[in-house]
Amino acid sequence: MRESTTRTLGLVLAAAYAIFIVWLYVRQPQTVAEMTGALSATVGAYRIDDRAFADGLRLFRADQFDAARLAFDRADPAHQDSRTQFYIAYSYYRQGWGRIYNDDALFARGVEAVDRAVAAAPQGSVAVDDPDLQLRSADELKAELQAGLRRELGDLNPLKVFRKRK
Amino acid sequence: MSSAREAFVLPSLFLTVALLGGVRVADRIVLLPPPLFTLVLAFLLVGVLVRSGALAPERLMSASRSPFANLSGAVVIVTAFLAATQAFNVAIPESGLPRLLFSVFLLVLLINTLAASPDRVRVLRSVLVIFGSAFVLKFIVLAALSDPAGGWLKRVLIAMLEGLTLGTLSQDLYRPATGYIAFVTLSLFVGALALLPSRPGELQPWRHDPVRGELDRYS
Repeated sequence: MRESTTRTLGLVLAAAYAIFIVWLYVRQPQTVAEMTGALSATVGAYRIDDRAFADGLRLFRADQFDAARLAFDRADPAHQDSRTQFYIAYSYYRQGWGRIYNDDALFARGVEAVDRAVAAAPQGSVAVDDPDLQLRSADELKAELQAGLRRELGDLNPLKVFRKRK
Repeated sequence: MSSAREAFVLPSLFLTVALLGGVRVADRIVLLPPPLFTLVLAFLLVGVLVRSGALAPERLMSASRSPFANLSGAVVIVTAFLAATQAFNVAIPESGLPRLLFSVFLLVLLINTLAASPDRVRVLRSVLVIFGSAFVLKFIVLAALSDPAGGWLKRVLIAMLEGLTLGTLSQDLYRPATGYIAFVTLSLFVGALALLPSRPGELQPWRHDPVRGELDRYS
């Protein structure tokens, strides 16, 4: 091989490898599935498993939130689909919501999921047209989750027991 | 040095070190970017390598080389610097008193090595000892101290460090895979440093040492 060809190939490979490393450190994928999913999402080739998503949606509507999240995770193993992540966040909200008090751990995981949904959305905004939901955008859902996590005097209001889950 | 080593082998090795240097395996995989202080240490290490002749920048970038070859040489130098940064990221503990002590110790050690101006072989041995001992201290001694389950090593160390609060020493607990990855990373780094183009005449420094020459003649 000619020296110039060797050097050209070396430079191209080094540049590609360096870009890949920077990308990994920025995206921080947790699993191999997340890494491959994020890579395919970068080139617009990522697709969720529609059947698993439909299963998740059915379980979500039946208030079986743990099972719904398992199905949603199967549908979107790389956490790259904003709609699926939105439903995962919503499942944490509905499961963690309580008339007397909310489950902070579930709400915190809901905030993480809604952040993933926003990060995965092309324009950073997520809107889901589902008549079953009262909070139809990531902004509304995140605000509701964060309000649930806050400690304030209003938490002592006894009339709070009459509020409804959204 | 062959163009293949300059264009492929060295950048690949150094970039692999840069990739693996931040990997920490706990409940999930975390990629830790290098702290700012490791940039200072890496800068000093590159200085030590150049001064000792273990790295001859003139063999990578000079007026006698073509612009393309100079670009290739620059990639080697830059990736070596990035790898050094991440090697220190591996070697230095993540928090507490050990982080401060390791950072100061490594800084003083590198400045001392720079002032001593040792030859290439001695610098490479010194780098091996620095990273080897840092690895043992971080991934064996400190990991044993931070392990809530404890073990014989932890009991011995607690007895030795009687009176010292363990809270100042304990680190985040990582899975054993982190230690193995760190070992591979540091081995690759030291190996890659040995492959760097060295200054002619520094390849066998004892050739210029009359005492060593006499010894070699009679051995």
